[in-house]
Amino acid sequence: MGQLTLKNIVKRFGAIEVVKSVSLEVADGEFMVFVGPSGCGKSTLLRMIAGLEHTSGGDIVIDGRRVNDLPPVKRGIAMVFQSYALYPHMSVYENIAFPLRVERAPEATIREKVEAAAKILHLDQRLEQKPGMLSGGQRQRVAIGRAIVRDPEIFLFDEPLSNLDAALRADMRIELTRLHKQLGATMIYVTHDQVEAMTMADRIVVLNAGYIAQVGAPLELYHKPRNTFVAGFIGNPRMNMLPVTGIEVTAAGVEVDFQGQRLLIPVAGHKALAGAPLTLGIRPEHVGIGRGEANMTITPNVVEQLGAQTIGYAPLPGREETFCFVLPGSQSTADDQPVEVSFRAADCHLFDAEGQALERMGQFD
Amino acid sequence: MAIFRNDDTPMIDRYRWWEIVLIYLGIFAFLFFLLSPFIEGFLVSLKPLSQLFSSPYTFWPENGSFAAYTNLWKTVPGFARYIFNSFLISTIATSIVLLLVVPASYAFARFHFRGMGLVLAAFLAVSMFSGAVLLIPLFRLMRTLGLLNTYWAMIVPGAAFLIPSAIWLLRTYMMRIPAELNEAAYMDGASQFYTFRRVILPIAMPGIIVVAIVTFIGAYSQQFIFALTFNSKTEYMPLPIGLYAFFGKQDVVWNELMAASFVGILPALVLIFFLQRYLVGGLTAGAVKQ
Repeated sequence: MGQLTLKNIVKRFGAIEVVKSVSLEVADGEFMVFVGPSGCGKSTLLRMIAGLEHTSGGDIVIDGRRVNDLPPVKRGIAMVFQSYALYPHMSVYENIAFPLRVERAPEATIREKVEAAAKILHLDQRLEQKPGMLSGGQRQRVAIGRAIVRDPEIFLFDEPLSNLDAALRADMRIELTRLHKQLGATMIYVTHDQVEAMTMADRIVVLNAGYIAQVGAPLELYHKPRNTFVAGFIGNPRMNMLPVTGIEVTAAGVEVDFQGQRLLIPVAGHKALAGAPLTLGIRPEHVGIGRGEANMTITPNVVEQLGAQTIGYAPLPGREETFCFVLPGSQSTADDQPVEVSFRAADCHLFDAEGQALERMGQFD
Repeated sequence: MAIFRNDDTPMIDRYRWWEIVLIYLGIFAFLFFLLSPFIEGFLVSLKPLSQLFSSPYTFWPENGSFAAYTNLWKTVPGFARYIFNSFLISTIATSIVLLLVVPASYAFARFHFRGMGLVLAAFLAVSMFSGAVLLIPLFRLMRTLGLLNTYWAMIVPGAAFLIPSAIWLLRTYMMRIPAELNEAAYMDGASQFYTFRRVILPIAMPGIIVVAIVTFIGAYSQQFIFALTFNSKTEYMPLPIGLYAFFGKQDVVWNELMAASFVGILPALVLIFFLQRYLVGGLTAGAVKQ
């Protein structure tokens, strides 16, 4: 079993609170991804679960046992580091065998387990080589092999792919997903890359400045972000945020004034929103060319053509951020030419003055 | 670096002819300045004694021979013993230093503890004093401990004065070993000592060898003052004191003295050349992504 519970975890470095009362349940066999910008506390949280950092407050519970004061081995945890942390003077075989040698396992067991791990990770041909002779992806696989041989209940990954180039990263992502299915162990994975989070996770934890901003399945975060932080963090390019004013709240949704146009956005609201300043969020991929429910005329100053997509960026009068839109690759638009774009009210997100989302109605699956 | 111009030479490595001449002149001037005492010493060792006092003085030996190199063993019968003593004292001092310094510098590199900065600064301050300043207190200490006129009289102060700089040197090297390796080993259940022995020591080996060489050379060259003060037994004399045997009552056998100096340095040189082969750079390659 690899069930993990965090209860009000706090971490302070001196006077600075890096992790602020985080509570979380991770089910056995779940692939959980911690994601967030630099300095949001995700790595610190992982290191506390690992036992490399001590908690300033709260409990870490694994399979019903409080493990705060146990060393990593006794917690049944293995960790893969961002920098691989391989022992440069040992062969691949000895690197993978290291945890077993520490346990003083018999030679036959070591050979059996190392060879099994090497097979899973396609390292059979590399066992006699030193880490210095391997490519980045192979080194990372050796680091994973060292974690596998101990049969841990929980695997921790600290940004394991961020040192690899883009093509290799995509391959390793698929390989890690396959590995998770094969081993069935609980995996906790820290990354700042939302593509990794969206593709691999059963559930994602979005962290912001030491708090959990939202926990949920990847598509849940995409369709129903609970606040402007999650809305801006999940999805690429970022969601556009536009100021609107509430007009009327009905059972069908909230009617807002968007640049003189009345829009009925299907979200659950309350009476106090009438007349209040609100923020409307629309994802770039939901914006199209031509007239529709909500219309805008913009002048893109940069147009990027990626083949599959065309991405345009237009300055908004009186605002710092630019308005971004994504078109199919077959469509194109000239830069510095005014163009009329539109989007559907059903695709819109609505946030109150505090940045909290009003829940969207309807099914998104 | 390709000095001479050809089509394969990158632009950054190309020089004009006069630049090359200047570079070589500079190298030659430097080398001559450094090596001239040795060259003159070697030339003297080849000359017959009579030619050394001829006037005008000639640098180049006429009918030079290696006779001094065979005669010196007859002039000073104990000379082989002096070389052995020097070697013995330096080897034991180096072993003691390494035994103490390797774990100490690991501790200074990896752990943070109260008073660490103070201790490190104190080490630096101690190495500012040369042994000569402390000769009298050291003499009293040696006498109290009953170490006078033993090998230990030369080994103990020798090792003591070499420890501070060795710690600073090795600590810097150890700090370059990524801390993730310690964390990874800790995650795998290894104890501090196991990690030190199986992970840190092998990786730190090039640094340890550098420290060993520096310490050995230091021990070899600083014996003179301790040997002169703390030892009066002929059989324990190290090489630098042994050379005084060539200073006779009437005259100094200069050519044999020079020959003896070269013979005395030889074992140390051979050892250092041998150790140098183990100074493999880049042993941490592949440990972590830099």
